[in-house]
Amino acid sequence: MLFGYLDAGSGSLILQAILGGAAGILVAFKAWKARLMGKRAMAETETEVDETTVPTES
Amino acid sequence: MHRPDPGSFRDPASHVVFDGERVLRLLDDRGLRGWHALSSTRFFEKAVADGRLIDAKLVDNDDSSVAGALEHPRVPFISYPYEWTFTMLKDAALLQLELLADALGEGLTIKDATPYNIQFIDGRPVFIDIGSFEAYSPGEPWIGYRQFTRQFLFPLMMRSDLGVPFQPWLRGNPEGPTAAEMRNLLGTGRRLRPSTMLHVSLQARMEERMSGAAVRDDLKSAGFNAELILANVRKLHKLVEGMEWSGQGVWVGYQTCDHVGRDREAKGDFLKTALDRHRPGRVLDLGANDGYFSEISLRSGAVAIAVDGDEGVLDAWYRKGTRAAIALSDLTNPSPAQGWAGTERPSLTDRARPDLVIAYGLIHHLIYTASVPPATVVDWLASFRCPVVVEFVSPRDEMVGKLTANKTEAELHHGREQDDFERLLRDRFEIVASTPLGEGTRTLYSLTNR
Repeated sequence: MLFGYLDAGSGSLILQAILGGAAGILVAFKAWKARLMGKRAMAETETEVDETTVPTES
Repeated sequence: MHRPDPGSFRDPASHVVFDGERVLRLLDDRGLRGWHALSSTRFFEKAVADGRLIDAKLVDNDDSSVAGALEHPRVPFISYPYEWTFTMLKDAALLQLELLADALGEGLTIKDATPYNIQFIDGRPVFIDIGSFEAYSPGEPWIGYRQFTRQFLFPLMMRSDLGVPFQPWLRGNPEGPTAAEMRNLLGTGRRLRPSTMLHVSLQARMEERMSGAAVRDDLKSAGFNAELILANVRKLHKLVEGMEWSGQGVWVGYQTCDHVGRDREAKGDFLKTALDRHRPGRVLDLGANDGYFSEISLRSGAVAIAVDGDEGVLDAWYRKGTRAAIALSDLTNPSPAQGWAGTERPSLTDRARPDLVIAYGLIHHLIYTASVPPATVVDWLASFRCPVVVEFVSPRDEMVGKLTANKTEAELHHGREQDDFERLLRDRFEIVASTPLGEGTRTLYSLTNR
């Protein structure tokens, strides 16, 4: 689906799950957790890249 | 040759053009898929039959650059949310939510949530943007939620919770207040109510923390579904339904003034004669108040466009179920042309296009309260280029005495006497008829343009 012409707002999208009630709060928590995990994975990848590219002193 | 609607360009899938008096909606492939999905539902047929959704029919299209074309009936008068009263915006909000709930029930969604997709026809809100419907993709959230809060919910909260008119805000910023702005407006005490905490404070907080994050795939993977949208929509519907505004205004109760009751019948008869003479298709009632003369115009078969600057009096009239087109606007500062390129939303005057103008009980307020010179008022009436019925009020009228109680002669424009006024009228109009009212300080004129 293409919704590009309307800025939905990331926080408002997650909030909708919470507004959906108890089941939604669980969905929001899972989405939140997935986002955090994604961030951590990205950070780890970046660290590995940094380690390989930083020149070592000789 | 098609003339594009200057206000219909945001959705790449669907935009409106005019072909003479015909209103056409041109669709690309995605828009056409949306139309097929919508038109095959039971909900569409019922919503059109109920008058909640504008009718649409697929028509022949010889433009190879578009996938399909729909034809809509023409909306008699386009108005904007900053010209609506509290109850009008509330009814529009409820319609938006009800249509979304009905659409989701048949596997569709509405991809935005703006009051600009709703117009008032015969006094009822009608959803006009058929292009906003499309198939619901499982796991997708309601993309229009934030827009709904900014353009419907928060403006309604401004009126019902704070007693502040939302129209100046929406006229200044059609996107409506952000959640953070609304949080600041509401103050600490009101932020503690559950509905405010969720839709205002929590939304503001989450927007600040998650700006620019891509979360739709995360939501889908986490099990988001249409039931969650429906639960939110049902709660929003209940919240909006419970919002009230007492509808107070300076001009509520004006009809109980002595001169109003005394002159109403004579003014109505004078108007009926003008309506019989000119047979106008569209009547513009300036300073319409409780709509007494707009109702007479409606009964003559005309479309009545009623403009007044008092929200309380217009809201009370709207709630009675009038078929007139209502536009809340201060006539000394009517809605200008604005939006993208200054053409997206035409001015109130450009949209009115009257065949007859009523200016009863109005021009003395322009001359004495707003300090508009009498000659300028007459020029303005002539600028509508159509017949006018106007009420002249002499400087010796009791009401004018009240309006000028704290003004000196030096603070008033010259040319306020009836002789001066008639001379100005004759420069611009033919005086077809005139009749004095009541105690002789007021006179009605029926005018045609020179």
